[in-house]
Amino acid sequence: MIWESFIYFALTAILLWAVGAGFSWKNKKTWAVSFTCAGLAVFFAYILTMWLTLERPPLRTMGETRLWYSLFLPLAGLIVYLRYGYRWILSYATLLALVFVCVNLFKPEIHEKTLMPALQSPWFAPHVIVYMFAYALLGAATLTAIYGLATRRNVEASLDEMVTAGWTFLTMGMLFGALWAKEAWGHYWTWDPKEMWAAVTWLGYLVYIHWRTNSPLRLAWLLLCFVLLQMCWWGINYLPAAQGASVHTYG
Amino acid sequence: MPTKPYSYKVGFLLGGGLILLGLAMQFTVGPLDWNFFHAPRNYVTLAVLVLLIAILHILRRESRIAHFLGTLQAAVPSLVFTTLLTALMGLIRQNPSAGEAEGGLGLSDMLTFWPFVLTYVWMTITLGLATLKSAQRLLPLTLKAVAVFLCHLGLFVALTTGTLGNADMQRLKMVCAIGGTEHRVVNEEGLVKQLSVAVELKRFIFEQSEEGAPKRFASDIVIHTRQGEHIPATVEVNRPVKVKGWKIYQFSYDVDAGAESRLSVLEFVRDPWLPAVYAGIYILLAGAILMFFAPKRKRKGGIKL
Repeated sequence: MIWESFIYFALTAILLWAVGAGFSWKNKKTWAVSFTCAGLAVFFAYILTMWLTLERPPLRTMGETRLWYSLFLPLAGLIVYLRYGYRWILSYATLLALVFVCVNLFKPEIHEKTLMPALQSPWFAPHVIVYMFAYALLGAATLTAIYGLATRRNVEASLDEMVTAGWTFLTMGMLFGALWAKEAWGHYWTWDPKEMWAAVTWLGYLVYIHWRTNSPLRLAWLLLCFVLLQMCWWGINYLPAAQGASVHTYG
Repeated sequence: MPTKPYSYKVGFLLGGGLILLGLAMQFTVGPLDWNFFHAPRNYVTLAVLVLLIAILHILRRESRIAHFLGTLQAAVPSLVFTTLLTALMGLIRQNPSAGEAEGGLGLSDMLTFWPFVLTYVWMTITLGLATLKSAQRLLPLTLKAVAVFLCHLGLFVALTTGTLGNADMQRLKMVCAIGGTEHRVVNEEGLVKQLSVAVELKRFIFEQSEEGAPKRFASDIVIHTRQGEHIPATVEVNRPVKVKGWKIYQFSYDVDAGAESRLSVLEFVRDPWLPAVYAGIYILLAGAILMFFAPKRKRKGGIKL
């Protein structure tokens, strides 16, 4: 069974990613990038082996989807690291990848658990992963804004970077979702509650990006945006207006 | 150039004014009927909108208002109002199909609610003006300039064609019985129509997981066209089939019968504006990705994380 060799590939990859993340804290960029890439190669080799063994892309079960999460998280982390040089981002990506590796290691029952038909799509993993990155960057921006408001230090330059990067991922997530929705449900946009709140969040961050002011109100607006984002992510599950109205609920 | 540009405050006043105007329209002419925009009216509307934006852009040096609409002082309030009204839509349960509103303010049919519509129209005009402005700033060619232009253009194209094209979209349901051939469909208003293609359902495939959850359902069909073609195809969730300008989706089946279902419900979708909307989506996507790699504005001071 191909899953039995998973642990060796996964632990090797995690180890390489962790070493890479360690080097990024020490500002050793070349080493950080090399180790991260080596980890990616090991992990992708496993996915490729599985692909060839199954004679189909491994996208049909929950366990298979988690594999793509673990691969793409460090990859996205690497892209953000190369672009902005955040020292924490590789550690964050490695940690998230580790979470999904552990899910696959400790809950082997999900290896065979089939996804409902609507979720069996090549869009699934990219859609979720870019949103995870958007949430991470915008979460970091929120913390930075709180720090700026509390200490009255000037954090605008760092914030602008993080929000732009987060907004890029947010845009990708939304548009991947639209393209996927067309294939799965016949229309790219139906104002489903999840879509409404995705739009609200996206528009909220656009306000921040366009607003040229030094007023602390701008930072306060950024905090509000993160509240909107929470609404989109999980809040709608508790929102009376959205009960039973969303197709984004999976049992 | 006007002597003193308007401030954000003027933008917020304009937004407030549009809400009041929208409310007045809601009570006098009633909710907006999007079916009005069937072709060729949507083409005309789009042409008028683009023309209006072009005129405002040309008049920006003569008229204070025209100048103002293309500035950040207008863009930010328009985005704030759009955000808030969309959030309001998210907080109020929406009627599943438009036009079912029975009295009330119209907040549960937000898409036909005039203050919502006018706010989006204002945002779109400001977006159009920003697109033209960013087009003029393309030279000297920088990554940032291209990114800004593509983001505005992509959103403008997707937003206008998606909204105005919606009236031309057809979503028709066809109930097929195994072994039978069907050419009748039901539209969204519940009216029965005849298609120029017929579908013969050969087999309905239903696979269950061990826990009994549906794993895969699909229909083996043969599509018969007027020209005498017989096209075999398998329609599956996430795998629609394209034929004669239609996209055919696996929509449903006899849920109570499950694996024993003798029926398959297919959906026929035709959206003539889709290529334009997709063009907008891909332009915006390209713009957003370029924005990620574009150098940032320099700000003085500040801490680096």
